[in-house]
Amino acid sequence: MKFGLFLGCNIPLRRPDLEVALRYVYPKLGVELVDLEGASCCPTWGTMPSVDLAGWCSVSARNMCIAEEKGVDILTVCGSCYGSLSETRHKLLHDARLRDEVNRMLGEIGKEWRGTSQIRHGVWILYKDIGLEKIRKSLKYTLDGLTIAVQPGCHFLWPSEVYVDKERNPFRPRVLIELCEAMGAKAPDYSTITDCCGTGGLRSTNLEKSLKLFERKIKSIKEEVDPDLVVTSCSSCLLQYDGSVKTLKDKGRINFEIPTLHIVQLLAICLGANPDQVAGLAVTSPEEVIKKIRGEE
Amino acid sequence: MNNLDSDLPTPVILTELEKGVIEEIKEHGGENIDRCIQCGKCAGSCPVALAGFLWFNKRFIHALTLGIKEEILDIPSPWACVSCNKCTEICPRDVKPFEVVFALRRVLVEELAMPTLTMEGLRTLYEYGHAVYQTTYPETRKKVGLPEKPPTTLAYPEALEELRALLRETKLGEIGLIPME
Repeated sequence: MKFGLFLGCNIPLRRPDLEVALRYVYPKLGVELVDLEGASCCPTWGTMPSVDLAGWCSVSARNMCIAEEKGVDILTVCGSCYGSLSETRHKLLHDARLRDEVNRMLGEIGKEWRGTSQIRHGVWILYKDIGLEKIRKSLKYTLDGLTIAVQPGCHFLWPSEVYVDKERNPFRPRVLIELCEAMGAKAPDYSTITDCCGTGGLRSTNLEKSLKLFERKIKSIKEEVDPDLVVTSCSSCLLQYDGSVKTLKDKGRINFEIPTLHIVQLLAICLGANPDQVAGLAVTSPEEVIKKIRGEE
Repeated sequence: MNNLDSDLPTPVILTELEKGVIEEIKEHGGENIDRCIQCGKCAGSCPVALAGFLWFNKRFIHALTLGIKEEILDIPSPWACVSCNKCTEICPRDVKPFEVVFALRRVLVEELAMPTLTMEGLRTLYEYGHAVYQTTYPETRKKVGLPEKPPTTLAYPEALEELRALLRETKLGEIGLIPME
C-alpha cells in the first residue's frame, strides 16, 4: 500500500508535530508514504474557492496531477484539504465544460488532470485499508480506562456525495468512535457530536462568535461525556480546540481544561512514538493523559 | 406554456435587472438556486445561524431569488460560512446552499466587496503557495525534528513559479486583486 502524503498548510507550518505523527504511524502499519513534491495549499475556502470556480479547480487539480504523475492516491488528514480536493475532483468528474476549462489552464503549465488519483482521508485508510484488527495488534500502549469525546469534523462527513468513503449515517458518525474503542477507550456518542468547532471563515470574520460556538460545544462535551481527551480527525478542529480551551479558561469562561489530539497523534503515542515529537506543540497540555497512557503515573 | 402553468399565480415579478442576479449566481456555481422552497432545513443546520449572525444560507437564497444584491454587498456573513456543507447534505431539494453562498462570494469579489483577510490569504497563496502561512514555521518544524522546509512549494521554487503562472491564468489574474508580477 502506497499513498501520496498531502500536507496542506496547517500541518507542516503550524502543527508539524502532526506531520511527524503521520510519518511515524502509516509506515509502522505497513503503508508507504511518498511526498508530493511542490504541492501547494489545497486551496482552502477563503482563497480561490471564493474567487473563481474554475480557478479553484485548477489549483486543486495541479495538486492532484502531482499524485497522478507518481501513480498514487492522495492521503490527507486535514478536513479542509480533504473537502476542497474531494469537491473539485467530484466537479471535474461530472462537468465536462469545467474539466476542459481547467485542463486548458493546466496546459499553460504543461499539466493535464486525468482523474486517476483518488482523495482519501487518512482516518478512513486506518479504518478500512489497514483495519481495526491490525491496529489493535500493533499497539504498545492501549487506552484502557480512558474516556474520549470524538470530533470527526465537518469535512469528514459532508457533502457525502463527493467523498470516496462514507459513514452509514453522516449525521451519526461512527468511524472515529470505533477507532478509539478499538484502541481500548470509551468513546460515547453525545448530542453535539456533529456541531462545527467554529473555526474557518467564522473565526476570521468574528472571533467572539466563533468562541461562543466553541464554548457551547465544549460545555456540552464536558457535561455529557466528561472526557480525558478530545480526539479529532481534522487539523483545523485540532487548532481550534487546542487554542480555544486555553483562551476560554484564561478568560474565566470555563473552569476546566481538556486536551485535544488528532487521532494520528494519539495512535503514534500508542504505537510507541516519542510524545514530545508527535504531540509536543499542543497549547493545552496533554501531558497528564499521555503519562496515563504510557503508565508513567 | 401549458394550461396548468398559466393558471399558477406569479408571486413576484422580477425586472430584467433583478433576473440578472439569479443568472449571475447560477453562472458562478449556484445552478440549483431556483429549486429552493424556503423550507429552512439549511438554516436549522447552519453554524453561521447558530453563532448568531442575522444573515445565513436561507436568507441569502431568499434575497437573491428576489433579485436583491446591492443591499447585501456589505454584509460580512457570507465570509463567515465555514464551508461545512451540512446544508448541502440536508437540503431536500438539492439546492446545494453551500454552492449558492460561494457563488455569492464570487459575485461579491467582482464588486471588490471582500474582507482584508481574504486578500491576505490570496496574497500568501501567490507568494508562498500556502494560504495559511506562518513566518515562524522553520523554528516550529526544527523543534519536532523536521527539516526546516516542508516538501511543498516552499522547498521547490520551480513549483512555486508554476503555481504562480497558473494563478495568473485564473480570474485572480484578470481582476487584479493582488500584485502578481
